[in-house]
Amino acid sequence: MDLLFSIFLTVFAVYCFFLVGAQSPAPTATELGAAFWPRMILVAMIALLIANIVKSLKENKADSFKTLGEFKFTEFFKGKLFIGMVLVFIMALLMPYIGFMPVCFLFLMAYGALLGERRWLRLFLFSLGITFLLYVLFQGALSIMLARGSGVFREFALMCEGFLSF
Amino acid sequence: MFDLLINGLQIVLAPSTFLLLFAGTFIGVIFGAMPGVSASMAVALALPFAYAMKPVIAIAFLVSVYCASITGGGITAILFKIPGTPSSAPTTFDGYPMAQRGEAGKALGYSLVASAIGGMVAAFAMALISPQLAAVALKFGPSELFAVSFLGLSVLSCLDSGNLIKTLISGLLGLALATVGMDPMLGIARFTWGNSTLLSGIEMIPVMIGLFAVTEVLKQTSKPKKIDAKAETGPGSSKTKTVLPSFKDIWETKSTMARSSILGTVVGILPGAGATIASFLSYAIEKKVSKKAHLLGTGIPDGIVAAEAANNAATGGSMVPLLSLGIPGGNAAAIMMTALVIKGVQVGPLLVKTQPDYLSSVFGSMFITNIVMVIVAMMIAKVFAKILAVPYSILGPVIVMLAAIGAYALNNNTGDVMLMAGAGIIGYMFVKLGYNSAALVLGLVLGQMCESNFRRAYTLANGDMVSIFTKPITAIIMISCVTMLVYPMIKPFIKKEKKA
Repeated sequence: MDLLFSIFLTVFAVYCFFLVGAQSPAPTATELGAAFWPRMILVAMIALLIANIVKSLKENKADSFKTLGEFKFTEFFKGKLFIGMVLVFIMALLMPYIGFMPVCFLFLMAYGALLGERRWLRLFLFSLGITFLLYVLFQGALSIMLARGSGVFREFALMCEGFLSF
Repeated sequence: MFDLLINGLQIVLAPSTFLLLFAGTFIGVIFGAMPGVSASMAVALALPFAYAMKPVIAIAFLVSVYCASITGGGITAILFKIPGTPSSAPTTFDGYPMAQRGEAGKALGYSLVASAIGGMVAAFAMALISPQLAAVALKFGPSELFAVSFLGLSVLSCLDSGNLIKTLISGLLGLALATVGMDPMLGIARFTWGNSTLLSGIEMIPVMIGLFAVTEVLKQTSKPKKIDAKAETGPGSSKTKTVLPSFKDIWETKSTMARSSILGTVVGILPGAGATIASFLSYAIEKKVSKKAHLLGTGIPDGIVAAEAANNAATGGSMVPLLSLGIPGGNAAAIMMTALVIKGVQVGPLLVKTQPDYLSSVFGSMFITNIVMVIVAMMIAKVFAKILAVPYSILGPVIVMLAAIGAYALNNNTGDVMLMAGAGIIGYMFVKLGYNSAALVLGLVLGQMCESNFRRAYTLANGDMVSIFTKPITAIIMISCVTMLVYPMIKPFIKKEKKA
């Protein structure tokens, strides 16, 4: 995996090196130009990535590709970790559409279940209570405008904000 | 000089002012402990309360909020690995492992005492040698500021000596991420791929929260055995107590405390630097000079002391240019200056000479706040520590939601929540592949400061690269940087030669 990651990063860094050069105007005698600094970083990074690739190949010449082959993709995709990553992403994706409160409640329920909580009523009550607490604390006390969502969820958020104003 | 100090204490010890300072400290610690509420945001949130106060009292109140919020940031950094403020990120390196071992209370105690001592050192420095310090700070032009930020970057070589190449790659990745968005000098879009959201660059706070907090929850998710809430020791331990370290314990960290407090004060004075750079730099220097350097990162008090003493000392430092020259050293100082301007106070070099009450009250406020803060933060930390006894199936998702709020609150932007989620997953990959998340954060924090100062220095030197590096202060700092960067690489060879 390390080898794959290093190769991907090297290719991407090379692409970025040319991209930033093409997008920036040429430097002048007293201005280094917009591409100078990123290019300097990218060159250093490419050099180190190549060194890392060589190092890992040298250290584990035979095993480098074997390890890659042994990575169990099916097990990873069925694993708790992958589901956890997906849940975090879904939470982030859904927030602008359904708003903070529904997304918070659903995420607490789903992730709690993923972490092995099987007392459903307790999980439901905790999720509900924590959602309420976080909402009152941040939206109410700290006046941080949490995501409202759109459509019916927006109406719901506006109604809750109305309650908080009292 | 002593009149100034006594006058300051007289101002803040008036019953009504003292009560306000107490309230300010309470508000500051709570705000600081909230993920996503930065120290400057805490000061901004407290600003409306200051409208009704007299200018001298208002500045004392805002200073108390500022100092306390920096300290508050350390609480969640230790307990949940969520840095409440960016300057608390290095506190997680040793604080969180201590909390994991069931020493959360001890870690919190060290954090509070170090914060208080760092803050008081800075307060005395500010009160006694403010004009002189400001004069030194004025000698720091773009080339010197570049050298300081580069010194911060040279820390990369000692963040993880286990795999230097990967640590350097992580740091460079952070620096590369800092170049996304508008170029600081010419305003040219870089690496935006036509996306308008990327024009403002990659926000540091969502990335940091994702890398530290979300990654940690993902790590716990992947573990077959989760944290036992009823364990005798460990983060779920019900025996977690916030205890102040004994005098003997503190005395053992005296060198770290002194170095970090002085360094924090000096870095705080430099405009644009601030508490975040101070804490990272201080931690890195400890990695170089401390006798326990090899243990840093495993959960030892010295790591917490280095970060917390420095970031609190930087709060005092940032008040020096504000009071002596009328130049705000950072965002929080700029908000405080706004408060004074609203009150009709003319901020500038004459303020300290014509109205010394301002300097006195800021000193008095910092002095008292740093004492009161220990008591207030202990009470608050106890409540926070209790949360650790909650089963992880409840606590884990709550940490992710707090992280999401922290990322969102920055700009009220759900895009930042996506950024946080992405950073969390990248952080997990980093852990698994042996890369260094802290190095990435450091690169991201220092990237823009490094680039803009370097390019400004180049322009001011009319394109003469040699003259940039031959300025005395720049040259000295750059030589230190090169030594710090090269030494870990040649260290094994030196050892081999010695053995031979």
